[in-house]
Amino acid sequence: MNYENTIASKRKSSLPDTHFVNGSVYTNKAIFQKEKEKIFFHTWHFICHESEVLRKYDFRTISFLGQPLIIIRGGDNKIRSFLNVCSHRGAKIIHAPSGNSKKLTCFYHLWSYNDRGDCISIPRENGYDNSNLKKNLCGLTELKTDVFMGMVFISFNEKIMPLNDFIGDSLSSFKNTLCSGKLEVFHYSKSTIKSNWKAWQETNLDLYHEWMHVLLRRTQINAGSMKDRKVQIMPNGHAVVGGLKAKYGSYKGINDRKTTKALPGLSSEDFFFVDLFPNFAILARGTAIRIDVVTPIDENTSLVEWRGLGIKDEDPKDRRLRWKHHNQYWGPFGRNVPEDAFAAEACGEGFINSASRYQIIAREENGTGQDDGMLRAWYKEWSKLTNVNINKP
Amino acid sequence: MLEYEEIVNFIQKSCWMLDEEDFDGFLSLCSKDFQYKITAFSPELNKEMIWMDEDYEGLKNLLGMVPEHLTRLGKFTRHVTIGQTLRGNEEIIIKSSFIAVHTDLNGKSNIFGVGRYNDKIISRDKGVFLLSREAHLETRDLGIGSHVPI
Ligand code: FES
Ligand SMILES: [Fe+2]
Repeated sequence: MNYENTIASKRKSSLPDTHFVNGSVYTNKAIFQKEKEKIFFHTWHFICHESEVLRKYDFRTISFLGQPLIIIRGGDNKIRSFLNVCSHRGAKIIHAPSGNSKKLTCFYHLWSYNDRGDCISIPRENGYDNSNLKKNLCGLTELKTDVFMGMVFISFNEKIMPLNDFIGDSLSSFKNTLCSGKLEVFHYSKSTIKSNWKAWQETNLDLYHEWMHVLLRRTQINAGSMKDRKVQIMPNGHAVVGGLKAKYGSYKGINDRKTTKALPGLSSEDFFFVDLFPNFAILARGTAIRIDVVTPIDENTSLVEWRGLGIKDEDPKDRRLRWKHHNQYWGPFGRNVPEDAFAAEACGEGFINSASRYQIIAREENGTGQDDGMLRAWYKEWSKLTNVNINKP
Repeated sequence: MLEYEEIVNFIQKSCWMLDEEDFDGFLSLCSKDFQYKITAFSPELNKEMIWMDEDYEGLKNLLGMVPEHLTRLGKFTRHVTIGQTLRGNEEIIIKSSFIAVHTDLNGKSNIFGVGRYNDKIISRDKGVFLLSREAHLETRDLGIGSHVPI
């Protein structure tokens, strides 16, 4: 820190330790390194939805914290994921974001791999006879992969707890919808934002910031549904928020959704969401679901990916309406998401050179309304995994 | 029949009005059955997507709300090059390339997005009107995004 800020210090000393987060938690390189090791390369992470690899041999390639990955549905229908790097000279093998192929062939010297990651062909293989290179040791590195309610999760940690235990009951409010077998991803967008990854995730944890969104002021706060909100803090750092109904017609330009086709298990005015630790949020609004994940690129830059879930093979007219419902809120030209991204970047500007020393997470409203309990529970889990104290890092 | 020069002037005007956030001015160039769309292709999903889809009334309402939103600070500048004009009986289809540059409050400019406009216009007694505009974006990482049509 280049200079003292006594005003900030005084304010801080009046707060309980659990109720503020030191700014260096967002900017310190050593802390970021710990996050990578103890969180991102340790626990489970959502990577894609099963509909993105619907048919046998469908694949998706995704970069996760700089690790090129390929997720592929095998001939046995099982979804597996591998490091998308060639065992030979390390080239990234598959470059297309999606596709379908029984054989994954590296462009460089044409080594090929099958849907289980086995190396199945090496051109002029006998050139390796003298050095004793074994083809059966040349397969791709497989990551732990599991599917929960249609969502594909990966972990770099071979000893991680089973995915079922990690998620527990946190997603039970989504069960009838996500397990209907009728959903597919119909919207995908991503953005690079100039802020620490936690600043994005906080937009999913901070209930108080609804004031920032005129759309939420009109359709939720002024519509009087705030009192019905229920927040549940779940094991492993997850949280469930339910009980709200949205009055869409209260915002000029957004139509009432009463009569429109809700997703299975939902009614059209439902609004609830679940945050899974560390970087995942799933939000249901009667007619569409949004999934977002944030992954760091470095401590000051993050990649946010948004997916919209709707009904598979629906009538083009219904699809068009669903796109509209999804994107009026959550698209890159939506009324809400650009504001969250603005907020995340603005907090980034505050913290990056320590102009802002810490942030306050001190609201208490008995776990409802606009309580900061979700933020505190999230940071508790974060501290447990990183072994870093959020106020004296 | 509209002269080519008139077509160029009209398309340029529609973009400058959006640049200036003169939304009433922009809407005055649109016919009452105007359809506006922002589309993009997702290679991740192998699907076309519609990111904004509004008719005249819908767009008017949304644009009317823009001043109440927390919007990206600074200014967009839309650079348009008309590529093709196709004349029908009454309507003219105009396909253009665009680059939308965003200049922040410090005067720093960055490319926000590139793509193509697919416009349909009509010349009536009262003037020239936009019947539809589809802005198809190649750029899919839009940073913090935007509240206004591109
Ligand atoms: S680097 Fe892939 S075959 Fe050589
Ligand atoms: Fe928000």
